[in-house]
Amino acid sequence: MPDAHFRIGIDVGGTNTDVVLMDGRTVLGSAKHFTTPDVKSGVVNAVRTVLDTTGIPIGSVRAVMIGTTQFVNAFIERRGLEPVAAIRIALPKGDGVPPFSGWPADAIEAVRGEIYMVGGGLLYTGQEYAPLDVDAIRAAARDARARNIRSFAISGGFSPLCPQIEERARAIVRDHVPDAFVTLSTELGGLGLLDRENAAIINASLAALASRIVPALGRAIGELGIKAPMYLSQNDGTLITADRAMALPILTCAAGPTNSIRGAAFLTGLTEAIVADIGGTTTDIGFLARGFPRETATANHIGGVRTNFRMPDLLSIGIGGGSIISEEGGGTVVGPTSVGHRLPAEGLVFGGATLTATDIAVRAGHAEIGDPGLVAHLPSSLVDAAVETIHLRIEEAIDQIKTNAAPMPLVLVGGGHILVNRPLNGVSKVVRPDHAAVANAVGAAIALASGRIDKMYDVKTLGRDAVIKLATGEAIAAAVEAGAQADAVDVIELVELPMTHMQDGAVQVKVRAVGPIAAFA
Amino acid sequence: MYIINSPRDVQDMARGAVVLGTGGGGDPYIGELLVAAEVANGNFPKIISCDEIGDDDFVLVFAGVGAPSILVENLLSKTAMLRVLARAEAHFDRRVDALLCMEIGGANSMMPLALGAISGVPVLDADGIGRALPQLNMTTFSIHGCPVTPSILMEERGNVVTIEASDDKMAEDISRAATIAMGAGAFCMMYPMSGKRAREVTIHGTISQTLEIGRAIREGRNSHGDPFDNLLRYLNSWPDRTAKIIFDGKIVDVTHEIRNGWHWGQARLQPLNGGGDDCVIEIQNEFTIARINGETATIVPDLITVLDRESAEPLTSDMLAYGQRVKVLSYSCDPVLRRPEALDVLGPRAFGFDEDFRPMEELLGLREPQQAVG
Repeated sequence: MPDAHFRIGIDVGGTNTDVVLMDGRTVLGSAKHFTTPDVKSGVVNAVRTVLDTTGIPIGSVRAVMIGTTQFVNAFIERRGLEPVAAIRIALPKGDGVPPFSGWPADAIEAVRGEIYMVGGGLLYTGQEYAPLDVDAIRAAARDARARNIRSFAISGGFSPLCPQIEERARAIVRDHVPDAFVTLSTELGGLGLLDRENAAIINASLAALASRIVPALGRAIGELGIKAPMYLSQNDGTLITADRAMALPILTCAAGPTNSIRGAAFLTGLTEAIVADIGGTTTDIGFLARGFPRETATANHIGGVRTNFRMPDLLSIGIGGGSIISEEGGGTVVGPTSVGHRLPAEGLVFGGATLTATDIAVRAGHAEIGDPGLVAHLPSSLVDAAVETIHLRIEEAIDQIKTNAAPMPLVLVGGGHILVNRPLNGVSKVVRPDHAAVANAVGAAIALASGRIDKMYDVKTLGRDAVIKLATGEAIAAAVEAGAQADAVDVIELVELPMTHMQDGAVQVKVRAVGPIAAFA
Repeated sequence: MYIINSPRDVQDMARGAVVLGTGGGGDPYIGELLVAAEVANGNFPKIISCDEIGDDDFVLVFAGVGAPSILVENLLSKTAMLRVLARAEAHFDRRVDALLCMEIGGANSMMPLALGAISGVPVLDADGIGRALPQLNMTTFSIHGCPVTPSILMEERGNVVTIEASDDKMAEDISRAATIAMGAGAFCMMYPMSGKRAREVTIHGTISQTLEIGRAIREGRNSHGDPFDNLLRYLNSWPDRTAKIIFDGKIVDVTHEIRNGWHWGQARLQPLNGGGDDCVIEIQNEFTIARINGETATIVPDLITVLDRESAEPLTSDMLAYGQRVKVLSYSCDPVLRRPEALDVLGPRAFGFDEDFRPMEELLGLREPQQAVG
């Protein structure tokens, strides 16, 4: 099959490892296995199942795309983290708000190695206000080495304007600590020193874990006999290479929900829609715009630490297939408590003793699961009230995630989709695609490569057109660098934010460009 | 006198400052981190009331000036704050007995607390506006004829500009030009005044007010009560102030634009069920007018604050977006801001509206509006 474009998409979740095998735009097969502690065997088992059931020869697989929540979960659980030396190049500015400011105590305990604040930094114009204090960087590197710290996070005031300042510091650190794992803040974030620095520190703390898990994924692929390149999914629904994932594991932290939204888009052919992933305990609602999840505009917290990392804008409500139904003060309450993954044992239709949202759906005739006879006794008034509550709550969440009142299509994925059975306000149509249960693995399989910039430009001097051209050019170059096919890169987001209060022409410009993986064309 | 000795109090104060920011004033977050860390290390800001300050004591306003987008990169330097204090004491040749807050709404609420914590100089429980407003000449200091200058502007490298201006408008223009030259962010000590003068020209009790507003919201949430009940009970406990929720609904449309360096816009709200009244809020950095069915319900300098309708978390104007469920709080300003000479500089016409100020009590048919005394 020389012309086949077989790809394998894998989603390594906390509980399940999902795999799909796709030929171009067609899903040929899928599988679900438990995630194993070593990650590798779960992947091997699931991929082998798909290859066996589809009969596709291993040699014709062209690429493997993996989304994983392993790194973000490790940080949230403070598991397997490295102590980090945080070097900030900003003195004489910023000494009142040192690195790790605002971190939860348990995260500081797990991650804070040492703090070094050294001289250097830029003004918003890009001019240096103090030269890089080379001696202080050397001293910091030597001190960290003496303390057996190998992971470094380097940040600097207004460094996105001129990343070279952090790069010079990295070179000095590596001179003194040859096996140092160094994260630069400019590799991760836009403006907002503390948030960008936090992202760099989180990333540095994941160094050891990344150098274990990413190669393990590679070995799993190798063990299966697959020779194709492996990519990992990042937060914005695009791909990075295994090397880049080893260097910047934090880029993968919100890939799970992103892949689910992207997969839903792909399976339905929609580019503008609301996507609701209805699971056992929660419903996660996202907004699909131009084929990508809309991202949050404000600060995000990862494991209690504030970052300005772009994440999909999700609204989570406590309604799922396992939500417990109760009656309080004359009203019917759905969730937020849930029997979760114990639904097949505890739900009434399965012979259990707890009234759940799934039982309501079965009794209302929306779904055929378990034994309907076990819920026949439920009074219609209770069933009607619960059905109404579920729909109203989902309607309200959909309205909150939208940007205006115009009705939009709703894509339902996840096992709990049976809870929705009537038209919803603000929704033009409800779509339930095939393969919805593995939408996240599909989202991984179809991902593109991307590049982005977030910088301050002087519009007064350069002119607006020249600034836009400059900024989009840099974003496109970054996308090509990340593996995109040079002649097929699209700019999918362009935001200009003039600086308020000063009226002097400085504008912050954010651009995101994406394109198909060149190696795959 | 009392001390701020728990990081939780600092968090409450920052949230209270956002409520009084009426949608603008900048994010207190960076300052909050500094003050909370100082408090955690035992450096407690001392708050003294206007009754406790001596007539002949020397009081200076301490503030950060420049663009909010600069603060998030420069953060705050303790060394520079102490240097500007020392420089001011050298310039005026006397010890600073108390620090004064310029604008309690937003980011500058934290600045005197920060310097107070690291220097030990007490912070006067007062400010120059009782809310947030976009210009220096809109402070009660200026309205009472207390000049901005001599002022000391300094940034972290030690560049210092001492300003002696012919009037406050010149002071603002010079400060702005010097601040841009310094990198668009600087620390400023200004409005030199005696304790007696400070008692006359400030709005009293506003530092404590941020703490109590934040505490009312937090305790309302934690007790599973209604944070709004708690908040309104607290705000209405002030004898000369009135607060009321004037709208409960969702945002159905928002426009944002940057005009001459300021954030302009408009938010339109409807009740949750879609029908009925309609509320429009005008934005000029801060929320300036709330109209219900086209009728003015609250107008600047009375305060308008938009809060999340469940948690009572205050929202800034740039955070407003379609679909948010919110309540709109109307809160009468300090009576001083309702005097004719104050309304001349910070009344509706100063913001380009072709209408006169009317107190929210009158607009909403509540109790008699509070008259300014003296």
